[in-house]
Amino acid sequence: MLSRLGSKANVLVSRNQARFLHAFPRLSAEETANATVSKLSKDQLKKREIRRLAQRKAAARRPASDHPLYMSVNKALRFLRAAEVGQPHSQQTLSVTTAVISERGAPPLSGNLSFPNALKEVKVAVFTNDEQQVKLARDKYNCHVVGGAELVEQIKTGEVAIDFDKSFATPDIAPMLASQLGRILGPRGLLPAAKKGTVSDNLDSLLEGSMASLPFRQRGNSVSIAVGKCSFTDKQMLENLVAAQRGVKAALANQKTKKPSLLGQTILTSTHGPGIVIDFA
Amino acid sequence: MSRVVKQLKFFNRISATTLEPQVVLNAEKYSGLNLTFQYQNHNGHMGARKFWREFLPTLQFYNPEVKFQVTRVRNEDKKNASVPCVLEVIDKEGKPVSSLDMRNKQGLEIMQELLSQLEHERVAEEDIVKL
Repeated sequence: MLSRLGSKANVLVSRNQARFLHAFPRLSAEETANATVSKLSKDQLKKREIRRLAQRKAAARRPASDHPLYMSVNKALRFLRAAEVGQPHSQQTLSVTTAVISERGAPPLSGNLSFPNALKEVKVAVFTNDEQQVKLARDKYNCHVVGGAELVEQIKTGEVAIDFDKSFATPDIAPMLASQLGRILGPRGLLPAAKKGTVSDNLDSLLEGSMASLPFRQRGNSVSIAVGKCSFTDKQMLENLVAAQRGVKAALANQKTKKPSLLGQTILTSTHGPGIVIDFA
Repeated sequence: MSRVVKQLKFFNRISATTLEPQVVLNAEKYSGLNLTFQYQNHNGHMGARKFWREFLPTLQFYNPEVKFQVTRVRNEDKKNASVPCVLEVIDKEGKPVSSLDMRNKQGLEIMQELLSQLEHERVAEEDIVKL
């Protein structure tokens, strides 16, 4: 009796062993199959995104002066002017790039800026069929290009170069603009749209409010703004930087998100020069 | 080499490690330097370009008031040697006071020759910016 039981147990054990022997190679085969399909599962990808956002937030909270490339603005300007020596004047533009840390799905940061020391004259285009408005835009505000349906045609065929920085329109011509020039002006951010507040019956108030200001918007995870030229004095540059800072802060306050976005590291750079971390926030 | 180390090296090349142009030019006498040479290297214009790239940033760094202007001319024709390769020193009234021919010279030679022509003082040891 005992011996029979013992033999049964033996059989069971040997069977189990055999099962284990089979099981191990099968498991590893399954793993490799998974790896070839996708390295990270959806869950892991999501976790990675959350982790990176937390890292960027932590980096934004650190003061700029901790960075090894941090300098005061005056010193940074001295280095940038030295790096830019001998370049043509038109290529000596100084710009500021700020990292923006926002929640997923937040609308990109955008707004308008006006500098106390202008880099260049702002060129404005006005589209309208209304004679009175045309006259107003031409005489009172001295706009760069003014016109109606015929101007739309000219831009479409390339007779009129697109060298303006912003554009406005009246509602009567707006749908035509969107259909005819949407492909041309849209990617440059120059298409007037009611949503952007650049289409209105009353161009007078619209132009008066934003004649000298320049638009900026977030691209990717950062906002880049041209703030000056190397020929500007330190005082002029500081004034412009403060204006840029105010504009970006105002845009942050107006952004429609659940959680407010953060501003990260800010870099001052020039066309040919190195990037230098400065205090901005 | 990390990004930061590379960048610091770049800054130090402008402010500390390039020794020859660490001078302060006499600000009462000079207002600027004008350089004219070719985009292309042929006919001995390479030294002028090297002088601009290697020594002018430091000179500008320690002489913020002095204006440096570089005019480069396109000249694809190797036989055409008429393009000037000169450095002009401009005084306070905007007139050229002296000029230096940079043709067939190396950047360092141009720098040394320029310093022998101009009134200058070496930057004091404690004023040199080192990162």
